[in-house]
This record gives sequence, structure tokens and C-alpha cells, in this order.
Amino acid sequence: MVKYMATLFELKNISKEFGNKKVLHNISLTIDQNEIITFLGGNGSGKSTLLKIIAGIELPSSGKVNYYDKEIKIGYVPERFPKLIRFTPVEYLNSIGRISGLSQAFLKKAVPDLLYRFQLEELKNEWIMNLSKGNIQKVGIIQAILPKPELLILDEPFSGLDSHAQKELLTIIKELKDKGTTILITNHEANIFEMVETAYGIRNGLISPIINGKKEPIKLLEVKRLDESHVLKWNEVLHMEKKKNRLLLYVQLKNSDKVLYRILELQGSISRVETVEEFHLKFGP
Amino acid sequence: MRELIKYSLFDYLRSHKYFPPVLIFFILIIVFYTYTPNPVIDSYAVTALFLYIVSSWLCLSFLSVDPPVQSQVMILHIGSLNRYYMAKLFCLILISFILAICAFVYPIIFSMFNETVTFTIGFVSLLNHVSLALLGIAVASLFSRVIMKSAINSIGGVALIITISLASLAIYDSLPSPFKNIVWMIPPAVSTQKPLFNWDGNLSDLSLFPFIWIIIYSILLLFLFLKLVKKFR
Repeated sequence: MVKYMATLFELKNISKEFGNKKVLHNISLTIDQNEIITFLGGNGSGKSTLLKIIAGIELPSSGKVNYYDKEIKIGYVPERFPKLIRFTPVEYLNSIGRISGLSQAFLKKAVPDLLYRFQLEELKNEWIMNLSKGNIQKVGIIQAILPKPELLILDEPFSGLDSHAQKELLTIIKELKDKGTTILITNHEANIFEMVETAYGIRNGLISPIINGKKEPIKLLEVKRLDESHVLKWNEVLHMEKKKNRLLLYVQLKNSDKVLYRILELQGSISRVETVEEFHLKFGP
Repeated sequence: MRELIKYSLFDYLRSHKYFPPVLIFFILIIVFYTYTPNPVIDSYAVTALFLYIVSSWLCLSFLSVDPPVQSQVMILHIGSLNRYYMAKLFCLILISFILAICAFVYPIIFSMFNETVTFTIGFVSLLNHVSLALLGIAVASLFSRVIMKSAINSIGGVALIITISLASLAIYDSLPSPFKNIVWMIPPAVSTQKPLFNWDGNLSDLSLFPFIWIIIYSILLLFLFLKLVKKFR
């Protein structure tokens, strides 16, 4: 296994506003090579915007993304891959490969291989615009991994995929990681947590670490009848998400008893205590 | 970049979005040459203006053919925003050049003129078509959906600027002397019309400055477009 530890890029005080709405607040992060990093957060939390800024597709309102290698190859799977593509999967992937500078000999082998792995062989000559949502998503994933990127950005890649494709994608993520690729992923699939080394939570445009590189166990507490203003003062809570009438608190295992005690003291009701992985396995986003 | 040009041309052909502007262009040419014979230089000067309008229409439709997410994916694959849009602009110039050739060849093939087309007249007329097509693309690029998110602003903006540019000679005449230089700001779509209408076909009697000015003006607008695209992503 190849293991690189050099820094791949650094986010410095990234903020993003759409009109009057501030989506990201002053985010600073350093991402090392050959890591798998996941970003968690509810809808509209700013995860996709952050990934687009990292990919260079969108400009931040303020702050900077510093890549240490300017010529880095980035693969990007958008949250919704466009339906309106007037090519067949074979035509499209070969075109993408050639646009990326891949050789014809490589494409001749790699494109059929990836189509086979994602069970798209029989549909390879159908127009992409006529494929189902899940199959379009598979084409979207293949186009991103085809040029063997150094940085792979996956925005909700599992949504709409059948179980076989999900498994295949996980295998490919493992393979790419072994070859030194850095992978950024937003998703809610529990399987990915086995591989993840670092997880960040994004809520209201603010980022906080959930799992650090040491894989320190994190507990997730689901709490009712507790005002979030109390929680904001607790340093032990790494990240908080508000879901309807409940709060989800991400707490390091070693601090969980302390937080539980405080919740009970404020007469809050604890409805669930789980590991982050268990929670996301059962409940998804 | 060659691969992206190929991809973009195929994509545009399959979208059929080229059909309305190209069809209108051919209808205009055919209707224009209905009555024969026609004067060579004057007729080519008019068809070049048709191409100016049609190439701006083509530019609006061509730059909106890729869904935004698809453009983002392509930019990452080609590795540069500039290269992506330069490939797109090259495709547009290529399509407009083909239309310019059609506009040039059609009256010759069907003997629509009252005189023969000399090499000099042919060269200058073709240059006029190509430079006005480039100007149409450059003007429309600034109003394309890449920069203007609203379709009304995009189409309305181009229509307004094209109308103003076609009326620039009249605007120049109606302006008081101190303000006449404002016309230099307007796209020089008709700057070649007057010299061409008064031209006898001898190259030494024709000022090439209006043609050069159209090309310089277009390049400046295209440069501005590439700068703005980076800002509006």
C-alpha cells in the first residue's frame, strides 16, 4: 500500500455567500494526500458548495484554496449528474478520456472494464438521456474515476445506486486510496465509515471535526427537550445538528458521560446513544 | 482541446439547437437573392450583416447547450476554464465560417450577380463576412447564459446591442459634435458598410481600417468574456 502524508491542499478562511445568505463561514482546513475524508450535514448545510470550491468550480466570496501541486488531476461526481447528455455511455466516456489526455490504448481497456464493473455493458449504446437516474449516476461516477485522479470529489455518490453499484464503488474507492488518491465524500452510507479517517460536520456553514485521523470513537446522542443555546456552550460537543424537535450531538466517547449528565441536569430526554456509524447505517441523512 | 471541439460540435449537432438560426440564415439569403441580377459588393455587404445577427444567435444557443454541471465536469477534465471556453468559441467561429462560405458561394453558383466576382472583391467580401461573424459571436458571448443567468436579460441584451450597432451610423449623425466619439463604444457592425458601398473593386481605393477595427474590437470583447467567465463561475 502506498502511503503519502504530504499536504494536498489547504483552505484558508473560506466564506461563501449567495445574496444575503451566508452558506460557509470562515472555513480553514488542511487536507493531506491519500486520506478519505467525509463531510456530514443536513440539506443546505453547505457541503456541496464546499466541495465545488475545493474543485475550483465555484469561487469563494472570501478566502483561498491553496493547492501545493498546481497540476493536480481532480475527478468530480456532482450530486446530480446531468441527464441531458446526447451521447451513449461508450461515446461519452471515450470523449471524456480523450479530453483528459488519456491514450486510446488505455481507454480501449479501461472503458469496457468500468462499464462491466458497474453493469452498464448492455446499456453502453443507449443514449445517456434515456437511462434511469441510477444508471446516469453510474456514468457520472465512471467519468470521474476514469482518468485516475489524484483528488476524487464525490458529492452524495451513493444516492440512486443499486446495492451492486454501491459495493463496486466502495471497492473502487479502496483501490484508489491504495494507489494514493485523496477522496472527499459527502454521504450518509455507513459502509464508508469503515474507510474514513477524518469526518467533518457542517452545520449552518460552520465546520467541526467529528472523527479525527486517530479514529477516536465518537458517540452520537439524540436528545429531546433541550435548548440548543445550552449545547453551544459545551466544549465537549464536537458538532450539533438540529432535526425537527430533536438535537443530534456528536461527542467523543471519553466525554459522553459528562454530556449525558449535563443533559439530564437540564431535564432533557435522551432518546438514543449510538456510534456515528450505527446511526447513519440506520437512519441515513 | 481538439477533442473538446469535436465533442462540442457533435453535442451541438445532436441538440438541433442550430436549426432555427441556420434555417433563418438560409431563408434570408434565398429571399435576398430572389430578384436578379444583383450588385456584387453591395449584396455581400448586406449578407455579411445577416451573418452578424445569425452568428450572435448561434453563440447564445451554443454556449447554453451544456447543462451547467456538465460544463463544470468538462472544465475539470480539460483542466482550464480558459481552454474550455476557447474551444467553444473556436467551434462557433468554425460554424460561422462555414455559413460565410455558403453566403459567399450561393450567389456565384446560382449566377445571382450582374458582374463577375474578382479575387479582390471576393477576398474582401469574405473577410467582411468572417469579421462580422466574429463580432456577432463576441457581442453575444457577453450576454450568454454563462454570464447572464436570466434568459430575458440574455436575449434582450443581445437584441438591444445589435439594434444599436446597426443604427450606429444614424446615431452618429444625430449626435451633437462633442458626443460623436461615443459611437466608438458601439460594436462597429456597420463600419464597413459605407466604404464597401462606395468601393469600385480596386484594393488600393479601400481603407482596411474598418475591417481591422472590427477584428480588434471583437478580440477585446472575447478577452473580456474570458475574464468575466472566471468571475461569474
